[in-house]
Amino acid sequence: MLDITGLSVAYGGLRALSGVSLLVEEGQFVTVVGPNGAGKSTLFKAISGIVRPEAGGIRFAGEDLLARPAAARAHLGIAHVPEGRQVFKNLTVRENIEMGAYPEAGRQRWAETLERIHSLFPILAQRESQLAGTLSGGEQQMLAIARGLASAPRLLMLDEPSMGLAPAVADMIFDRISQIHREAGLTILLVEQRVAEALELADRGYVLETGRIVLEGPYQTLLSDDRVRRSYLGIGEED
Amino acid sequence: MDALILLENTLNACVAGLVIGCIYGLMCVGLSLIFGIMRVVNFAQGDLLMLGAYAAFYLVVGWGVLAFLGPNTAPFVAAVLAGPIIFALGWVLHRFLLARVSGLRTAGSLDEGHFGQLIVTLGVALILQNGGQILFGSTPRAVTTPLSSSAWLIEIGIGDTTIFLNKARLIACLLSIAAVIGLWLLLDRTRLGRALRAAADNPTAATYMGIDVDRAHRIAFALGSGVTAIAGGLVATYLSFTPFMGLDFVVIMYAGVVLGGMGSLLGAFWGGVTIGFVQQFSALALPPQLQNAAIFVVFLLIVVLRPQGLFGRSADRA
Repeated sequence: MLDITGLSVAYGGLRALSGVSLLVEEGQFVTVVGPNGAGKSTLFKAISGIVRPEAGGIRFAGEDLLARPAAARAHLGIAHVPEGRQVFKNLTVRENIEMGAYPEAGRQRWAETLERIHSLFPILAQRESQLAGTLSGGEQQMLAIARGLASAPRLLMLDEPSMGLAPAVADMIFDRISQIHREAGLTILLVEQRVAEALELADRGYVLETGRIVLEGPYQTLLSDDRVRRSYLGIGEED
Repeated sequence: MDALILLENTLNACVAGLVIGCIYGLMCVGLSLIFGIMRVVNFAQGDLLMLGAYAAFYLVVGWGVLAFLGPNTAPFVAAVLAGPIIFALGWVLHRFLLARVSGLRTAGSLDEGHFGQLIVTLGVALILQNGGQILFGSTPRAVTTPLSSSAWLIEIGIGDTTIFLNKARLIACLLSIAAVIGLWLLLDRTRLGRALRAAADNPTAATYMGIDVDRAHRIAFALGSGVTAIAGGLVATYLSFTPFMGLDFVVIMYAGVVLGGMGSLLGAFWGGVTIGFVQQFSALALPPQLQNAAIFVVFLLIVVLRPQGLFGRSADRA
């Protein structure tokens, strides 16, 4: 469904991604893990069209994404839940979700998705007419995910949904994400620093370090890889 | 007797302040869209108002296209038509100049493009003022209507205290209120309005939602230009003007927007109304050249006492 080949992105002279290839198939849950500054967010921004790659290709559902302007990509069925949530602070919770449903697909399935969102995150129904800027971090994260779901996407991209959240809240967010994937069969691409949880959810995983994919495979393979265990899971150091 | 005269003067200042204030409110709302909501510094706002006044002038007097409507109706129809005309101009201005220093292009930069906007709009203001002088001449113009020299008299039943309602100003006031309500409904109730607010609130996230942010900013800029131009057309019905009229009004507009609270459209309207009040009340006690000084005293007081503005909603918009 999403097929990235040889993607390179540079900011000024600084190379953020070099030759990244990545494949997400329909219905899969794919995770990209890696340390801070590895280029995970840049990868998402390139998919969404906020940064322009200098080389490589991105195809989504058979279409050449790079030929499409950024604002057109949401309409193809890509929902980007950005790092740091980026909710519309001066809009109400309800209006935020409505903005998510800006693409045609979201409007058509509005009633159905809204009900689903409220069953996943009941707190958002309670806070409906509150300004999004007044929500707590966890609630803003739920809203950001809800806003992504509201577009009735074919691919949901989540950028560090656990960032800055208390562990219990982050666990709850991971539960919901896994529920969304299980129940709706939604294709998900997740970027995370919390490697263990993120890999556990995924069908496939990629390890991104300083702009390069250093390891990829199904999650069992990654979890049993020595490098992953040592660098990200903090186990196996005594070997 | 003195008490009655004082009462009459006070009541009349109140009414005049409210009426003028609504027209100020309308021009403030135009700037509020551009500066308060989209966060674009626009020094040419006063000159867009001036162009609105001249658009009305040419429609009614200069070319006389609307003269057939008669002197009681034509000036007001012209004022409303100045809206779409200057909307188009605002669209072009944004497309070729402001888009380069605002929107997504500057969203992440340190000054959010304010320096660029300052220079560009100051330049546009100078071109419009001096170009206006070449094209329109420096003779003061007016879109005269017999209504501006007649008034409805309301006797309130205390002695012979009478309230004077200038007909032209009252109609202008009512049209202003209608325009503000229309704009507010557009922003609050429609899909386009929500998209404009989202694009202003967080341009990057708005792009992720599939909103064409540049286009949204262009529409907002053009709307803000058009709304202020309508106010300019309305001002023209009771005040004579030259191509430099914008200088007086740009001060009122910025004060009104900041008074009302940066992110709030209706706040900007009330900011404008407040300024109308202060101006008319200061006329009771102060010589006319100190009226603007009075506006600034009130402005400073509010900035000191309530920095988020009278109707500011959230801290990060103050």
